[in-house]
Amino acid sequence: MKTKPHGQRETTNLKQRFLLWSALILIGGGLLLSALSYWNTRRLLMADAMTKSEVILREVEAIRSYVKEELRPKMYELHGKDTFISEAMSTTYISINIMERFAMTMPHYTYRRASLNPHNPRNLADPFEEEMFDWFEEDSTRLFWQGIVKKNGDAFFVSMVPDYFESSCIRCHGSAEKAPKELTDRYGMDGGFRFKAGDLAGINSVAIPVSEPLREAWQGSLVLFGMTLSGSLLLLWLLTLLFQRLVIERLGVMLSLVAQKGKGKGKSGMATIGDELDVLHASLGSLRSYVRSARKGSSLQPNFIGDYVVNTPIAAGAMSWMYNGRAIESDEKVSLKIGFDEVLQNPLYRSCFETELHLFETLTHPCLPLLQERVEDVLVLTEVRGRSLYHLCNKDPLDDTLLLHVFSQLCDLVASIHAAGIVHHDLRPQILMLDEKQQVSLIDMGLAVSDQQQDPIVAAGLGPQGDLLYLAPEQIQGKRGDPRSDIYGLGLLLYLAATGHLPFTQKRRSTQKWMQHKEQIDTPRIYRSGLSPSLEQIIIKALSYDINKRYQWVEDLWEELDTIKRTGGIAGSTNT
Amino acid sequence: MRLMVFSDVHGNLEALQSVLADAAKRNVHRSIFLGDLVGYGPYPDECIELVRNVKNCRCIAGNHDVAALWETSPYGMSESAKEAILWTMGQLSDENKKYLAGLPDRLDLFNMTFVHANPYNPRGWRYVMDRKYALRSFAATRCRYLFIGHSHRPLIITRKHFFSTDLYAVSGSQEIVVKDKKRRIVNCGSVGQPRDKDPRSCYLIFDIGKQVLEFYRVGYDIEKTTQAICSAGLPLTLGRRLLKGT
Repeated sequence: MKTKPHGQRETTNLKQRFLLWSALILIGGGLLLSALSYWNTRRLLMADAMTKSEVILREVEAIRSYVKEELRPKMYELHGKDTFISEAMSTTYISINIMERFAMTMPHYTYRRASLNPHNPRNLADPFEEEMFDWFEEDSTRLFWQGIVKKNGDAFFVSMVPDYFESSCIRCHGSAEKAPKELTDRYGMDGGFRFKAGDLAGINSVAIPVSEPLREAWQGSLVLFGMTLSGSLLLLWLLTLLFQRLVIERLGVMLSLVAQKGKGKGKSGMATIGDELDVLHASLGSLRSYVRSARKGSSLQPNFIGDYVVNTPIAAGAMSWMYNGRAIESDEKVSLKIGFDEVLQNPLYRSCFETELHLFETLTHPCLPLLQERVEDVLVLTEVRGRSLYHLCNKDPLDDTLLLHVFSQLCDLVASIHAAGIVHHDLRPQILMLDEKQQVSLIDMGLAVSDQQQDPIVAAGLGPQGDLLYLAPEQIQGKRGDPRSDIYGLGLLLYLAATGHLPFTQKRRSTQKWMQHKEQIDTPRIYRSGLSPSLEQIIIKALSYDINKRYQWVEDLWEELDTIKRTGGIAGSTNT
Repeated sequence: MRLMVFSDVHGNLEALQSVLADAAKRNVHRSIFLGDLVGYGPYPDECIELVRNVKNCRCIAGNHDVAALWETSPYGMSESAKEAILWTMGQLSDENKKYLAGLPDRLDLFNMTFVHANPYNPRGWRYVMDRKYALRSFAATRCRYLFIGHSHRPLIITRKHFFSTDLYAVSGSQEIVVKDKKRRIVNCGSVGQPRDKDPRSCYLIFDIGKQVLEFYRVGYDIEKTTQAICSAGLPLTLGRRLLKGT
């Protein structure tokens, strides 16, 4: 695993990061707890206010109903139809007076009867009540409203119900001329008239002050937050002590060992790339490389396998290393295919490796090194010389003639592999060597599978295997066993050989991002403007995202390349 | 992509060499051999060697191949066939026996299925030459093309609809365009023992890009093979069959 380059990561040690994150989590938790407490208290308060205000409103409604239906008709009966006594017959007058008496003993409960055109100017609606008139008038089915209203800096929980005129009310609220004389004498003839039955008479409301309880809830949550914070700080202090003892001090001892190892190379910068665990991780990575390089024999005395000396590595495959080697007796140069330790120890990957060894044993092609013998898990093959296609095409395209020569061999090889019922699955430039005679050698078949055997990777339900950069889209989705995936691999190799570049940069991406990149490939002309359109079309077709739009047979791909070869040239110029 | 399909060599080396020489001139990319390398003919080992060395060629097992290994009994065969198999058993090298033993019964390649006799019971060796077994064969594969051998007669069976087929016996060398979407059973005839009254070897090349089935008939030195049959002590009726093409 690679570490991020120096400078990209903030320099902080593990203890600081632990403290920072713990403090953030504890403070965040305290804030959340306080907020929840406040929210719950407020909810309970509102529910209480809602019940109380509704009770009072319903009580007033009952008083008004009693006046309207019992008292007023009785007064008419006793004193005649022309009589009007406000103290005994006006619903508004009576209800207001009763509630004023009620308010003397319960000053926190305010009852109001508001009207836009009242007899008594005291009952004139304020601006908020005017808005509520509009709200009730908009929809006659609205029969109740509750909410918090701020007045003069104090918050009140207000419940409101609308009151509509009935025909019995029109005597006093219809025409001013026909209204009882007693009424006009008391309130004049300006307000409270010109209504008809069904009009919105007024709004009855009850307001309960909630500022004080809300303030108390807020203070309670602040106290809770303070207590949580104090507790958190105490807990944090204890955790830090524990973390220091159990982790940091022990890690320090391990790091001092790592630092001693690294002294030979000077200050490698590992100490500044992150916290202690990053340093340890980088150190272990370095140690792994060291062990691997030791295994390669590059920095140690040569290893021996049977009668062969293991020299420098050629390349890493999917399941194994390919090394240069030498026969001790004859001094003949050979190549040695040696499985990774982790592969040999894993039954699943070992079966893949065994398949690879079997394929090298059974397949013969000029592009495959010949088998000389098998020494336990090591294949002794004929010498593989030259450089990998990856190194040869790095930034510079292959010469046109060489490109066609290489791909004639490659297509022939892949056709032979496919004809034998095998899908390679992992065609990469790193495992294709080109020697001084321009002979191509394929040195790895670690992910190959034959149609005559069960695919262990599919049977084990593993996801995509291999470098996602070189995998066909369907392989990234986990599908295996389709020869057209190798045609995609050939398309990528052709792209690289023709332009000196790959269509993607090698970055870590999610499989979903890789799929998007594979769907939108840059045309090869971006890197080589003089590329012939016919070759460009071949590359684009081979790299089709849709498997059915690709070449279906590698022979078809080669036939089209051969046509270019015969008609002459890949490019007019080699601009890169 | 040009795919050569051939079948039923039956140890007839002269015929096999002629066919391979003819195919070499026709830009063949891959080959599939549909079984019966041995049986009847005097050169079983040589034929196996030759087919094994054909580039990009895959083989499947035929009834005579498995009988020569005692995987099925040769005593259910005709008298001459049984005699030839028993003789062949003594001729095969261990390596070639191992090779025959490793041959699969069926291959599926994209939209093509390859079997020796039929796909629904590959080791039942039932001939597919009529509507009943053709429909049963269509049901046993989802591929568009089913290539078979075994009957030694070149034949194309086209599925017209779910219950109906169209049989077309191919005579001589001819090209048949199959660009429609219909499913087909294609019998490639026999290299080493044709039985359609044309003694010439028969094979086909399927041009997948152009969707053309190219049937070819190739003549060979039948007299030489007949003499070799005599020399090997095989029944003389086998030589006479080659001359008549029956």
